[in-house]
Amino acid sequence: MRRWIFICFAVVLAGCSEPQQEAGFAGLAGVAENESGVPFLQPGPGDRLTFPGDFGPHPQHRIEWWYLTANLKTADEEPLGLQWTQFRQAIKPRPAGAELPDAINWPLEAAWMAHAAVSFDAQHYFAEKLARGDVGHAGARAAPLAVWLDDWQLEAGSGNEVWRLKVAADGWSYDLSLSVNGEPVAHGDNGFSAKSAGGEGSMYFSLVDLQIEGTVTLGDQTLEVTGKGWFDREWSSQFLKSGQQGWDWFALHLDSGDKLMAFRLREDDGAFRAGTWIPDKGEPVALQPDQLRLHPTNPEAEGFPRQWRLEVPDYGVNLEVSAPPGDYLNSGLYPYWESPVSVSGSHGGVGYMELTGYGE
Amino acid sequence: MTLLAALFSHYRRHPLQLLALAVMIVLATMLWTGVHHLTSQARASLDQSESAVAERQQVVRRDGNPVTVDDFVELRRKGLCVMPWLEISSPEGERVVGVDPLAAGCFQVPGGQEAPWGGELDGRPFVDISEAAELDRDQGSELSLLISEDHTSGDLPSGYQLVPFSVGPDTGELSDSFLLNLDALGVLVLLITALLVRSVYVLGLAQRRDSFALLHRFGVPQGRVNRLLVVEILMLALVCVVPGIWLGRWLATGLGSGFGQALEGLFDQPLYAGQGGSWLVPLVIMMAVVLVACLADFLRPLARGLAGGNRRSGGLVLLVLLAGLALSVWVTDLLWLFIAVAMVFVAAGILAPRLIAWLADWRSGHDRDLQARWRHRELSVLARRLALPLVALQFAMAMVLAVQALVTTFESTFDRWLSQRLEADYYIEVPESADPTLAVDWLADQPELAASGLWHRVIRGRATLLGGKDEGDARVDVFAIGPVGPLVTGWQLFESAPRPWQSLQQGQGVMVNEQLARRQDVKVGQTLQVTLASQSFEFPVLAIYPDYGRPAGEILIHPSVLPADFAAGFQSLSISPGNLSIEDVIDGLQRVWQVEALTIRDNRAIEELASAIFDQTFLLTRAMTTLTLVLAAIALLMMGWVFFSTRAWYFRLLVVWGLSRRQASAQLIRLSVSLTGAVALLALPLGVWLTWVLVHRINPIAFGWSLPMAVYPRFWLELGVLSLLIGLSIALLMSRQLKSPTVAPVNANAMAGGER
Repeated sequence: MRRWIFICFAVVLAGCSEPQQEAGFAGLAGVAENESGVPFLQPGPGDRLTFPGDFGPHPQHRIEWWYLTANLKTADEEPLGLQWTQFRQAIKPRPAGAELPDAINWPLEAAWMAHAAVSFDAQHYFAEKLARGDVGHAGARAAPLAVWLDDWQLEAGSGNEVWRLKVAADGWSYDLSLSVNGEPVAHGDNGFSAKSAGGEGSMYFSLVDLQIEGTVTLGDQTLEVTGKGWFDREWSSQFLKSGQQGWDWFALHLDSGDKLMAFRLREDDGAFRAGTWIPDKGEPVALQPDQLRLHPTNPEAEGFPRQWRLEVPDYGVNLEVSAPPGDYLNSGLYPYWESPVSVSGSHGGVGYMELTGYGE
Repeated sequence: MTLLAALFSHYRRHPLQLLALAVMIVLATMLWTGVHHLTSQARASLDQSESAVAERQQVVRRDGNPVTVDDFVELRRKGLCVMPWLEISSPEGERVVGVDPLAAGCFQVPGGQEAPWGGELDGRPFVDISEAAELDRDQGSELSLLISEDHTSGDLPSGYQLVPFSVGPDTGELSDSFLLNLDALGVLVLLITALLVRSVYVLGLAQRRDSFALLHRFGVPQGRVNRLLVVEILMLALVCVVPGIWLGRWLATGLGSGFGQALEGLFDQPLYAGQGGSWLVPLVIMMAVVLVACLADFLRPLARGLAGGNRRSGGLVLLVLLAGLALSVWVTDLLWLFIAVAMVFVAAGILAPRLIAWLADWRSGHDRDLQARWRHRELSVLARRLALPLVALQFAMAMVLAVQALVTTFESTFDRWLSQRLEADYYIEVPESADPTLAVDWLADQPELAASGLWHRVIRGRATLLGGKDEGDARVDVFAIGPVGPLVTGWQLFESAPRPWQSLQQGQGVMVNEQLARRQDVKVGQTLQVTLASQSFEFPVLAIYPDYGRPAGEILIHPSVLPADFAAGFQSLSISPGNLSIEDVIDGLQRVWQVEALTIRDNRAIEELASAIFDQTFLLTRAMTTLTLVLAAIALLMMGWVFFSTRAWYFRLLVVWGLSRRQASAQLIRLSVSLTGAVALLALPLGVWLTWVLVHRINPIAFGWSLPMAVYPRFWLELGVLSLLIGLSIALLMSRQLKSPTVAPVNANAMAGGER
């Protein structure tokens, strides 16, 4: 999802900054060097994750995001889906630990964008916020974790085990408490997640077992909610190649206690697939492209495909993944589909689905 | 098909007539499209300038310190939609405004205010705020925090307050009024256009009378001929309207682009709405106008009246004229006023050619000189036969007269309005925490300011007016101004008692604005009962001053009158520093008030900005009316020439009677100049009346306030000269025709309807 959006965002911001060295899609397939001689860093195989530092920003990488999806239930057992994402787009690379530019100069070295959405009762509520970095009203910190843009804020309490997420949009809001269970799951090769056969990719890890409770307010109605969430951290300087048309991403909580992350990047001639099988007990396994089958059940249908077949034969997984009735388009600067899903077939379960690049 | 061919064969035999009709439709379409395009552009220009200078609200610190990035961050973290606005004034006087388009995202909600930079950060004058901050290092700047419209003071954290923020004065109803008048004129132009088309078509029909008679004799029913005529005019309209629209747009764009260039650099961004506008509106409207104008015979009896058919209806038409005039004086409703205007124009259009004809007939009966008698007889015939183009020219001239007066009136009103509001060079807000009397004492102690500068303090608050016209109490705005000096004494007052400003200075009365005077029926000399804070006062009204559209009632008093417990809503200083530099004034005031920053407005820059915007709009309006006049003149010239040609045989008789060719030409000149001169004379009262309606009737009815009316005899003279030139041109063309071979009278008789 987020990759696609951010690339668009980058194109817009490029107008404000130095000319991009066009190399590949939106200039992101090459590691352009800045005028100052400081390059953007590009993740590659062999790179490793470090904690808690990697929860914080990576100013020498071009793009990154903090991303939460949640499958919740109200007191009446009604399902409610929820999303919060905050993106950072660097315009100018800055080595970690370098002195911050003075806010009084309104620097434009990075920009932030936050998205929030609630899906309930076939209705979809979405809001978007933008900010420039280094001024103070948007930013992120590794420990204790804090990510904020205006009054939207994700912040870890003492001990870093319980986080609080507050979002207030026009006419709706949420205030959630998130209990973090388990260790971060590193995707791909120890955290390096390839995004094409050519080796472009990102650093990517997830917290897949969040217990959530709190309130969601929609107009006059305040709902008590509980459920589970999925938190992603991802950063890179180079993601997609020209010829990649869009992105289909799934994060599923299966009733068996297993979890599954799968995505495919649609290319002119086929698609690049990858994923991670996270068994309830045991170590996560990176899924290679040939271990994963992922396709819409009706590929001829127009618009966003709402029904998918997801198969991982090695683990006996054969799933039908469906979005509930309703329109789940996040209609911000760069519209994309973001919906909760239900899972049936070899396993039951819930999860989230994100789709981009369907001519939206 | 054969019938159609027979009908059209007339034009095969007389291609010039077809050409004349086609050219007239093209010209008329061009005229209206051009005017429509220019009007839309004038409207768009004004809208854009309004949007660029529209008043917004900003957040300031209550402690008087300037806002900083930290304040911005604090407010945003509290969830308030605030954006930074960093304005730099360079030594060259160039204006650069730094904005943060990312922070401004929350301003762009559906139905919210437009971003003032229109999405372009191209340095004219808007740039990204980081670039402005870069410039700021060596130039003066001021950071403001604009806040979206949906926030109120209650949303702010303590320590902050909302105050108005504007980069220029809000023209409010003054521009709405101007645009309403433009619309009214657009309708008038449409009427003139219809008359031009109809005049040529009716002439064509008269010329084809023989053809129709022949077809009738062959057994073709009249209804069928009529239907075919509809098809014919529909096709002709389609063929001619499209190039007319193209030409009109081309003309308007050509006229407009010159003004557009003049406008560049005003806001340092183009405010002139160049291209755009749909083709469909002019196409549909012009097709409708051409069809109605040409097929009006099916919509009797109005068309007959205009064609001069029914002479007995003269009394009725006169009644319509008088009723229209009476209505225009008495009605209080805009729709009825427009109906009254329509009645007067229709009646004037029908009566004017008849009046010329009647006067000419009457004169010819008293002429001893045979040539004069011939000339007057001929003038009478011409006035009847050329009724439609004459009326079109009369209307066009009346409209040009009215527009000229209107535009000049608006111009001077805008000028006065600007100078009344921006009399001093600088306007300085008194910070909430500051004591204005310290500033007053400091200013009074500056010898240079006393010698060469001017200043006064303004205290703004509210008062209650007891027992007004409607026996109720009325809340009004109070402006206490002192010391009273040349900054205000130059105001143009509608009415005043003797030495009003001296009396005001001595606290011996109040002045009221026009709005209050109208609403409460307040007269100069009358005593007003005013409650200020907890005390009641009785003040005589010293004067009524114009407010140029400000809807609130106002009273003006001297500060010495204010009781101690009067709560000032807002205080400011207006200063023209003279030989003292404004920097010295600012330093001094910052010192006595012990604040780091002041809110200052450079009134001269704002005045320049606003004047240039209004000038642009007025230029476009003048271009529109000039275009109308030129095309109406061309139409009359063309019609006059065609019609005179049909009477060439009679004119040649002058030579047969023994006049030299030169003498005959002189007779023709006198004839055509009398005709166009008479039209100009008849246009004059209509134009003056239209001006009166626009400024004295439409405005008060629509907006509740009036504009001063002025007449401009020098412009009348210019129009008179123009009408003589048209007459001379027709005569010149005719004199050339006299040299061509003789035309048989029967031919002319048939073509012109057989009148001698």
